Amino acid sequence: MKSIFLEWKKIRRTGFFPLFLGGGIVAGAVPIIHMAVRSKVYLIEQTPPIPFLFYENWQMMAMVNMLLVVTGSSLLYHLEYDHYAMEKWKSLPMRESSIFFGKVILTISMSTLPLGMEAGAIAFCSYHWFEVGSSLLKELWKSFAYAFLLMIPCILLSLLLSEACKNMWVSLGIGVICLFTATMLPTNNFLLSLFPFATNFQMAASMDRTKIIYYIYGSALESLILVLAEFLLIKVRRSFT
Amino acid sequence: MNYLSLVMIEFKKIKSSKVLYIFLIATVILWIPSISNVHLNFTMENQGISPENNFFIQGFMGMSWFMFPASMVVGTVLVTQTERANKGILKMLTLPIGRAKLCLAKFIVLLTLGAIKIFMAACAYYMSAALCSATQNYNFILPPFFVAKEIILLFLSSIPMIAFFWALSVCIQVPLFSVGIGFASIVPSVFIINTKVWFAYPMSYPFFLITSEYGKLAKNLNTSQAEPIPFIPTAIFITVLCIAISCLCFGQDERR
Repeated sequence: MKSIFLEWKKIRRTGFFPLFLGGGIVAGAVPIIHMAVRSKVYLIEQTPPIPFLFYENWQMMAMVNMLLVVTGSSLLYHLEYDHYAMEKWKSLPMRESSIFFGKVILTISMSTLPLGMEAGAIAFCSYHWFEVGSSLLKELWKSFAYAFLLMIPCILLSLLLSEACKNMWVSLGIGVICLFTATMLPTNNFLLSLFPFATNFQMAASMDRTKIIYYIYGSALESLILVLAEFLLIKVRRSFT
Repeated sequence: MNYLSLVMIEFKKIKSSKVLYIFLIATVILWIPSISNVHLNFTMENQGISPENNFFIQGFMGMSWFMFPASMVVGTVLVTQTERANKGILKMLTLPIGRAKLCLAKFIVLLTLGAIKIFMAACAYYMSAALCSATQNYNFILPPFFVAKEIILLFLSSIPMIAFFWALSVCIQVPLFSVGIGFASIVPSVFIINTKVWFAYPMSYPFFLITSEYGKLAKNLNTSQAEPIPFIPTAIFITVLCIAISCLCFGQDERR
């Protein structure tokens, strides 16, 4: 708990919070602008609003979310490696892994901000253009809770990459490559789409229940593997330095 | 110190950065799906595009939409952060060299990184085209003159975008913001190429030009073409403005 509080203190002047806020605004603007420009074309098709809005906008919104995670996690470790702050942490009587988990919890809780804003934007679009309101709340909640769960392995992996690479631009570069690979992977192949960055492109709104559960189990397993990888990274690094 | 040696010094600084390996991985990843889905190139009769042209243009469209602009954002981080770490930039600024000159030398490095990235993609294209020609018994290799024309066009169209990213990284001291704004500006380019004001948005130039080339190659597709006016004057204006702003802002923060 203490390490989360410390992490929060560290990011106060880095622009981490405004970045997530700005990212949320950009991602939230996507469906609104899309509907504002092309609503006449879309409203002719009689489709249920949430799957439709997700289908049209989610790829771009998910991409903004992942770029936020990649950039944010690179910064969180850049703070430590710049001016050798990490060496000071290592000399303190605390577990090295607690720094990582502090950052994980911080990024996870911060990612709820853009997700919440995106949910608000989707709700606004379905209320304003499709004139359906509170009845959709349950479906909306389900879709975004699913998106949130699938984002956890992506957060863990980008933080792990940022911890492994001391230069900020290397972790950013690898993160961008991972994201680019994810856009190229076919979404209908289950095993390939379990790649931590690719899972975020999945949408609960147009998926059946069993598949949703498979993806949730898949991302839980991935998260577990990534946590183990973190312990391994610390052990290996220590034996080489 | 003449300008050339200043640029060479800048190259030396990033020599050990292994940036080319990152570019190489990205380029390989770019062409793998094209090679594995090569049979799809034979099913494009509706668009009226030949398989070899489709193979080439699809790969470059994938690159110019996200991979290339994002690599350039990462490149700006590389060029600025290597100097800011351990205050190397302070030492550079104490030398009797104009700030603008230093800024332009770094910008040349960034442009060269962009050119290397595009050149790598072209080399990878030839390798994958040769591989696919062998496996499919169909000639996928396009004449070098045509490929050279396309990649030069892609490079020229990316200069305003690179200048914009460079201005962002110089003017905004917090690396997070310059990177964040850079990344965020790439995402809407898919929207913007479909609007009439695409020419005012430098991040959409490479993707727009490659898409319009696709339209030229595919007989049954009508993609919008770039009108030289207002495109070229706007592009030059944006480039000059961004370079001027970055030259003015360069080292300003460190001087205080």
